Amino acid sequence: MSIFKEHKTIADRSSSDRRRHRDKIDRAIKEGIHNIVAEESIIGKDGKKKIRIPVRGIKEYKFVYGDNSGGKAGAAPGKNIKRGDRFSNQQSSQPGSGQAGDEGGEEYYEVEITLDELSDYLFYDLELPDLIKKSIKKLEAEKIKRKGYRNAGIRPRLDKKETVKRMLRRKNIAKRDVSKEDLEEFPFDDRDLRYRYFKNSTSYSSNAVIFFIMDISGSMSTGKKYLARSFFFLLYHFIRSRYENTELVFIAHDAKAYECSEEQFFQRGSSGGTIVSSALEMMEDIMMKRYHPENWNVYAFQCSDGDNWPSDNENVDKLLQNIRPHCQLFGYCEIEPSDEQLKWSDETSLWTCMKVMADSNLKLAKVSNKTDVWEAFNHFFGGKLADV
Amino acid sequence: MSDWNLEQLKKWDDTIVKLAKSHDLDWYPINYEVCDYYEMIGNMSYHGMPSHYNHWSFGKSFERTHQMYNLGVEGLPYELIINSDPSIAYLMRENPLYLQVLIMCHCVGHSDFFKNNRMFSNTRPESIVSGMRNAKKRIQGYVESPHIGIKKVESFLDSLHAIQFHVYRHPKEYVSHKEKKAELLEEINRKISKGESPDLEQLNKIPLDHEQDLFSFLLEHGKGFEDWEIDLIEIVKREAYYFMPQIQTKIMNEGWASYWHYKLMHELDLPQNLHLPFLKSHNQVVQPHVGRINPYNMGFYLFNKIEERCGIDEIFVARSVGHDEAFIRQYLTQEDCEELNLFTFSTKKDHYLIDDVSDEEGWKSVKNLLVNQVGANTIPKIYVESIDEGDILVLHHEHDGRDLELDYAEKVVNHVSKLWKSGLVKLMTVVEDEPFEI
Repeated sequence: MSIFKEHKTIADRSSSDRRRHRDKIDRAIKEGIHNIVAEESIIGKDGKKKIRIPVRGIKEYKFVYGDNSGGKAGAAPGKNIKRGDRFSNQQSSQPGSGQAGDEGGEEYYEVEITLDELSDYLFYDLELPDLIKKSIKKLEAEKIKRKGYRNAGIRPRLDKKETVKRMLRRKNIAKRDVSKEDLEEFPFDDRDLRYRYFKNSTSYSSNAVIFFIMDISGSMSTGKKYLARSFFFLLYHFIRSRYENTELVFIAHDAKAYECSEEQFFQRGSSGGTIVSSALEMMEDIMMKRYHPENWNVYAFQCSDGDNWPSDNENVDKLLQNIRPHCQLFGYCEIEPSDEQLKWSDETSLWTCMKVMADSNLKLAKVSNKTDVWEAFNHFFGGKLADV
Repeated sequence: MSDWNLEQLKKWDDTIVKLAKSHDLDWYPINYEVCDYYEMIGNMSYHGMPSHYNHWSFGKSFERTHQMYNLGVEGLPYELIINSDPSIAYLMRENPLYLQVLIMCHCVGHSDFFKNNRMFSNTRPESIVSGMRNAKKRIQGYVESPHIGIKKVESFLDSLHAIQFHVYRHPKEYVSHKEKKAELLEEINRKISKGESPDLEQLNKIPLDHEQDLFSFLLEHGKGFEDWEIDLIEIVKREAYYFMPQIQTKIMNEGWASYWHYKLMHELDLPQNLHLPFLKSHNQVVQPHVGRINPYNMGFYLFNKIEERCGIDEIFVARSVGHDEAFIRQYLTQEDCEELNLFTFSTKKDHYLIDDVSDEEGWKSVKNLLVNQVGANTIPKIYVESIDEGDILVLHHEHDGRDLELDYAEKVVNHVSKLWKSGLVKLMTVVEDEPFEI
C-alpha cells in the first residue's frame, strides 16, 4: 500500500542557487564582454536598440571525451542507411543532432541588452582623459522647467486633476461637520484652483565633438577598414556615454581630405596616394569654424596604416603641435592586420613622427586583430593601465 | 480542473499493488507526493532529493530545465522516483488520470529494480534521505560560519564536483593502505619462502596499486584538510556512490520500469478512454530517437526480447545481476541490431559520416561502439598512479582509444590541485597516439 500526500512546498527551493548562478553569469558578461565588442553584429547600431549577445555558460568541468574520440552509435528507425552515407549536420532531423548528452559542448545563454547597457559594462572602469582634472567644459543654456503648482495663473495652465483633488479634500472635511447636511451640491471654490508653474532656469550641458580621421588610400584594405570601424564604434559609444551632446565629424583622406557622412566614410575607397596633413588641416579648419574649443570638448582619432608621403611628415608634425592643445585627446591608431604584419617589420613613417610627441593627450596604439581593438581602447582611456 | 483525486489514485494503487505482487515484484513502499510543475523542476534539479545541499550548479540546472520547458523544447519527465526506502515519487498535479496510473506502474518497476539489482547493494536507501538532510544542514552551517563562508565552501565543492564520479564503478569497499600493505607483505613473504626474489620496492609505493576512488584516496593520503573539508569530501563521495548504480543501469532501469508499466497497464483493464491515451504516451516514451540511443526504447525492447527467447525467469535474473554494459554484451544479438537499425557515425567538419551499419560484417563493431557509450563508459577512467618526489600527485587516464577533451582536462587538473596540499598535480594521458602530460 502506497502513501499519497501533497508535496510539502519548500518555498522555491532553488532560488538561492539560481541567484548565485546569475551572479556568476553577470561576472562572466563583464569579463567576456570585450570579446564581443569587435563583432560585426553590434557595429553601427544605435544606443536604444536591443541586441542579443551570447554569453558562455558557466561550465562545470569534468573529465570528458573530446571530439576526436571516435564515432558514436545511434538508431535509425525506419531509415535506409548505407555505409559511407553523409548527412549534413545543419538539419535537425539528422543523426546526432540532438543534444550530445553530457559531452563538453558549449552552452550559451543569450542575454538581451541595449547598447547603452553594454557601454555601462564596457566602460565601467575607464575614465575620460581630463575628465577629473579639468572637468568637462559646460555650456550654458536657458531652459524652461516645471516647478510645482501655484494658486494663481493663466487659464491654460489650470491643472484639473489637482484642482479636483483639492475640492474633494475640502468636501471630505466638510462631511465631518454634521450641521452641514446638504452636500449634494458642492461647488469649486477659488481656493481649489491649482495652476502649473513654470520657471526659467539655466542649465549646463556638456558637448563633445569627435573627429574621426581615416586613411582611405589604396593601401587600406577592407580588413584594415573593418578594424578601424570597430575602433571608431567603441570610441563613439564611450564618448557619447559621457556627454549629453556628441557630434561627429568624419574626415577621410588620401592625397586630399574629404568631409563625409558616416556611411561614405566606411565605404569609400580610393586608389590615391597618402598625404596625412591634408586631413589635419581640414580638421583644424572645421574645429575653428564650427566647434570652437572654447565651447566644445574636442576629441580626434586617426586610423591609418602608417603610410604617408615622406615629405609630408614635417607638415604633420607642425599641424599636430597646433591642434593638440585644443584637444582633450588625440589618438592615433595604427592598423596592421596580422597577416600583413611581416611587411611592417620596421616602424612606419607616421608612427616615428607621432612617437616623439606622445604624452598624456596624444596617445598611440597598434591594432592588428579584433582583440587588440579593446586593448588599444583601454590604452587610450584606461589611465593607469596605459603604458606610454 | 484535473480528472482525478487522491481517493481515486489510492484505489488504482491498491489494484496495481496486488497485480505487481502476483508477478513477484518486490519493491520498497512508495510515498507519492503531488506537486506542480514548478516544484517538479525544483525537485529534478536536486536529483529528486527532498533535501539536498546548495550549490550554484543546481540553480543552473533549474534555469536550464525551466527554459527548455517554457520554450517547449522538452516536456518534463513523467516520473521522478528516488532510490530510497520508502521510495519517494512525485506526481505532477497537471497530469491527467491515465498518466498518473501509468507513472505509478512505472514507479513500481523502478523501485523493484532499486531493491533487487546487485549494483545498488551498497546505496543504503534507508538512510539516504536523512543523510542528505543532515549533510545540507552541516554545509549550511559551514556557509554561515564566519571562519569559512560561502566562497570557500562553494569553490571547494566546485573542485569536488569536477571529479565527482571518479569512484569505483561496481560495489566494492575501499581497502586502506595499511591493510593492502599487509596483504602485499604476506604475498612477498610467501614468494621469498618459495625461493623467489620479489621486487621489494613496490612496498614503498603510494598507492600500492591503481586507485580509482579519488575521494577515498584524498581522505587517506591528502594532507592539511580542515574538518569541514573532510566532511564535504565524505558527502560528495557518498553521493557519487549513491548515483553511480543509476548511471550504470540507465537502460536496464528504464527498460524494466517500461516493461512493467506496459504489462500492468494492460492487466488493469482500463476503460477505453484511459487505455488509448496510455498507449499513445507509452509509444512516445519508448520510441527510438534518430541518431541516438533512447534508453527507454533499448531497455523495453531488450527485456521483451529476452522474455521471448529465454522465458520470464530470465528477465528477473537479468534485472538482478546486470548493468547496462553486461546487459547489452550478453543479450543484444545481430537480429536486434538489425531490427533497431543501429549504426555508427562520426562527426566530420560539416557532415556526419555513416561508418558502419548492422549487417553481417558491421554489427559487431556497432555493438562494441554502443557498449562504449552506455553506463559509466561515458566517463573517462582516471586513477591515482603515484605520489612522486616533491609531493606531486600523478593521475593516469586509462586510454581506451578515446582522447580526452584537453581544455576540460586541464581545468579539472586545476581543481584537483586545489585539493592536494602541495598543489602539484599531473595527469598522464594519450593524445593522438602520443603520451601526453598535463
